[in-house]
Amino acid sequence: MTGPSQKATRWVIASLSFAMAPQLVKMPIPLVIMTLLPLMWRIGAEIRGWKPLPALVRHGATALALLALYFSYGSIAGRRAAISLLTVMLALKLIESYRIRDARLIVSFSLFLCTTQFMFNQGILMPIYGVFTIIMVLVTLTQLHRNEAYFAFDETPPVSVSLFSELGFSFRLLMLAIPVGLAFFLFFPRWVTPLWGIPEATLDAKSGLSDSMSPGSIQNLFMDDSPAFRVVFDGRIPQPSDLYWRGPVFWDFNGRTWRGGFYGKNLGVASQPEANEAPWTYTVQLEPNERHWLFALDYPATRPRHSRITIDFQILRRLPVTQLLQYSMVSDPVFVDSPELGVTLKNSALDLPVDSNPRTRKLIERWKSEGLDGQAMVRRVLTHFNTEEFHYSLDSPLLGRHSVDEFLFDTRTGYCEHYASAFTVMMRMAGIPSRIVTGYQGGWYNEIGQYLLVRQSDAHAWSEVWFPDQGWTRVDPTAAVSPLRIARGSLSAIPAPRHLLDYSWLRSFRNGVDIVQQRWNDWVIKFSADSQARMFSSFGLERLTPSMLVATLFVVIGLFSFLLLPFILRVKGPDRKDPLRAVWLKFLQRLKTVGFEALPSRGPIELAHSAAIQLPRDSRSIHHIADLYSRSRYSGTPPPLRQLKDAIKDFHPKKNTG
Amino acid sequence: MSTAALMSRGNGINQRFNLWILERVRQKRGSPELPFTLEYRHIYVMPTMFGFWFGILLALTAIGGLNFNNNMVLMLAFLLAAIAQLTSLLAYRNLSGMTLLGFRATPVFAGQAARFTVLLKNPEERLRFAIQLVSRESSDCTDIKLQATGRLELDLMTSRRGWIEMEPFRIENRYPLGLFRAWSVIIPKARCLVYPAPAPHPPPLPKTGRGDFGITRKGEGEHLHGLREYQPGDPLGRIAWRTSARHQTLYSKIMESPCEEACELNWYLLRGLRTEEKLSILTAWILRAEHQQIPYSLEMPATALPAALGEDHRNACLEILALFEK
Repeated sequence: MTGPSQKATRWVIASLSFAMAPQLVKMPIPLVIMTLLPLMWRIGAEIRGWKPLPALVRHGATALALLALYFSYGSIAGRRAAISLLTVMLALKLIESYRIRDARLIVSFSLFLCTTQFMFNQGILMPIYGVFTIIMVLVTLTQLHRNEAYFAFDETPPVSVSLFSELGFSFRLLMLAIPVGLAFFLFFPRWVTPLWGIPEATLDAKSGLSDSMSPGSIQNLFMDDSPAFRVVFDGRIPQPSDLYWRGPVFWDFNGRTWRGGFYGKNLGVASQPEANEAPWTYTVQLEPNERHWLFALDYPATRPRHSRITIDFQILRRLPVTQLLQYSMVSDPVFVDSPELGVTLKNSALDLPVDSNPRTRKLIERWKSEGLDGQAMVRRVLTHFNTEEFHYSLDSPLLGRHSVDEFLFDTRTGYCEHYASAFTVMMRMAGIPSRIVTGYQGGWYNEIGQYLLVRQSDAHAWSEVWFPDQGWTRVDPTAAVSPLRIARGSLSAIPAPRHLLDYSWLRSFRNGVDIVQQRWNDWVIKFSADSQARMFSSFGLERLTPSMLVATLFVVIGLFSFLLLPFILRVKGPDRKDPLRAVWLKFLQRLKTVGFEALPSRGPIELAHSAAIQLPRDSRSIHHIADLYSRSRYSGTPPPLRQLKDAIKDFHPKKNTG
Repeated sequence: MSTAALMSRGNGINQRFNLWILERVRQKRGSPELPFTLEYRHIYVMPTMFGFWFGILLALTAIGGLNFNNNMVLMLAFLLAAIAQLTSLLAYRNLSGMTLLGFRATPVFAGQAARFTVLLKNPEERLRFAIQLVSRESSDCTDIKLQATGRLELDLMTSRRGWIEMEPFRIENRYPLGLFRAWSVIIPKARCLVYPAPAPHPPPLPKTGRGDFGITRKGEGEHLHGLREYQPGDPLGRIAWRTSARHQTLYSKIMESPCEEACELNWYLLRGLRTEEKLSILTAWILRAEHQQIPYSLEMPATALPAALGEDHRNACLEILALFEK
């Protein structure tokens, strides 16, 4: 047979299964079934010895898989769809692979599949996945090589290699390859601009805050512990109550859902704070989320590259964030946002659906008739939240048509978006222009890494009201209900665990361990053409040109080869490992210095005889050493090596002058 | 044998490349003096077909990684490239230092495959994995342990009697992953004697000899010739039980019978046939006489051998036939 052995086939199956695991998790169910079925069949065929499937069945399965792919994704243009296609095809290839060629093809593409997964996730667990895939593939390829070499002969190879040594060999191979791989990674010239663009919709699902807010949407984020972004402050760190990271801003309300306003999205900002007076300087490392918003503290004085700032101070990137993105910001909290508001904007900040929430409207009318207005009205509403029986909780019932009415008078329990929404609606009813701002509030400061970690669970919603000359002013109704939320973070505001494994010690552990991910991002993921060019800037070389990089690459690899090649290609002679022989050679060397040349053909006793004749004064010690040596070498109970060593150390023959 | 022996079963380019290498080796090095140790200048390394496609896949991966500046994709691609590069060194290392000790071949009859045994010594303290010998017609593979000698066999089909020269062959390996092939071309100085093919239906043996040739047929008969130690296969009835009991080892009796017949295999007996046919018939007769344990003598135009029996006699006769008029 020209096929791989059973053992090798199992490794092929295992490598492919391992490499496709992260992809399987993200694929639609029909495709997962179409991938797992051939895999299961092949495993069964290996165990039970089933016969190969007829071509009709195989082609039918392929057609079915293509159909499933088409109906799941609509097209195969997207990145995830293309990789799903590859995965399904590799699994289907498995059912017709009975040759070494096919096995090698599957294994090579398993590696390729592994690399494609890095397009979606470059988290700290991915390198481990990559290393395991490489080792499995190396073991498989080693076995396939032996199968190929021996396939023509029915005999088994004379030397059987244990799994342990195969794993050890693969691991050593990987370790030896790391220096050269690293040199290429550091010095291979990167492209400043990509040859082809990054497709717009690439990830599986957008994550984080969205372009609309309805009751429950931020609550869902509260369950999500994945990092949203990390911030390194340069200098002063703001108070927790100042850490409002502004994201999507909403103007339009349909009674249930808040959306961004047309003007808010499309008008550019009129004026920004002065950058040189702003107190907060920081760098944000935004995790990819497939969205356009860049998060910053109020009010951004600078504009990150490839982005624009809208009139309501949203920072929108031209392309969605598909990779870890780092940008530096300067913010000034002391700034008046729009001291004057145009009529159009004012109207859209007052607009409410007609006939909605009649009970709330009645309440506001009553307060109005009491003469409350402007700031006093704001305080009255906040006091209402604070003094009445309101709860800050995740378990809020679903709200119907008059959502604010139900919330204010019936359920009285909700998460930040309920309060922000109710507050904003009440302000609009009172004739005060207001809008909703969503974003993140707070974060966890990592003392060791000196950075602020903001998770999705820190998502928050608050309101802004507008008064002439004071401009837009932030009002956070949640703070009135649950001051803890602002001071201590979202998780302390709700004491009940969110899920089975939600303990505070585990959370602190996770926050602490995040530093590994942060360092990984800093050192590996962020590395780019720019950081490459400035690699030696601290040595006075401002920018490295590509040709300098290539030269460095050659120098480094040359140096490394010089150091490592003798080790790889070393010829292990018997002298190296035989301490007895080494000692004996020293003895021969001593004899040589006094003019006695030992013929290699002579045994120790014979040699001692002729040496003793030539050097009669040392004949006793010569015989003694030769005797020790031959006993060490040939006797069943050899004397300790120490004895011979000492004898030779004390052996100083004198030249025969006679 | 023709010197333009093709060395490969591959496609045209591969074949031409191998021929070119062979020509180079022939001009530069010729046949090696034995023992011959493979050194760096004797060993070539090239990617295999699989290695080539694997490289293309890696290059595509790296281009993708560069385009999206995806550092993990790049890291993996570069690591794999480094591993692949490393395996080319390992393939070379798996061959270097191997010592070619010599060749053996036992004579065969024309039409059979001549089997050349190649003795390859691993003088070093490390295992050599899957060392392959590849010639135009056959190949062999073995692992050679530390300081051990591997025997690899290469077959070569024969069609004509006489000496057959061993064809050039490659010592090669694709260790450890099959991405690279390291090989060395050897033009051996070894030959194998090819006896004429025995005629399938020869005329009956010419039993013209008389019994007083003085040669006895050992093995069968009524008279005891002597004793020898029992060898597996000796019939039970031949065992000298009494002697065996005394010496605590089994002895078999060798019987003999006086030679009653012998054959004179004479070139001139065969008339009206072509030379090769005559040689074939003589070969067949020798084999038959040997089989029937009838002593035979051989008389050829230039040489003659007296009647005898046994392996040496047979081989001597067959050699005369093999090299007749060559």
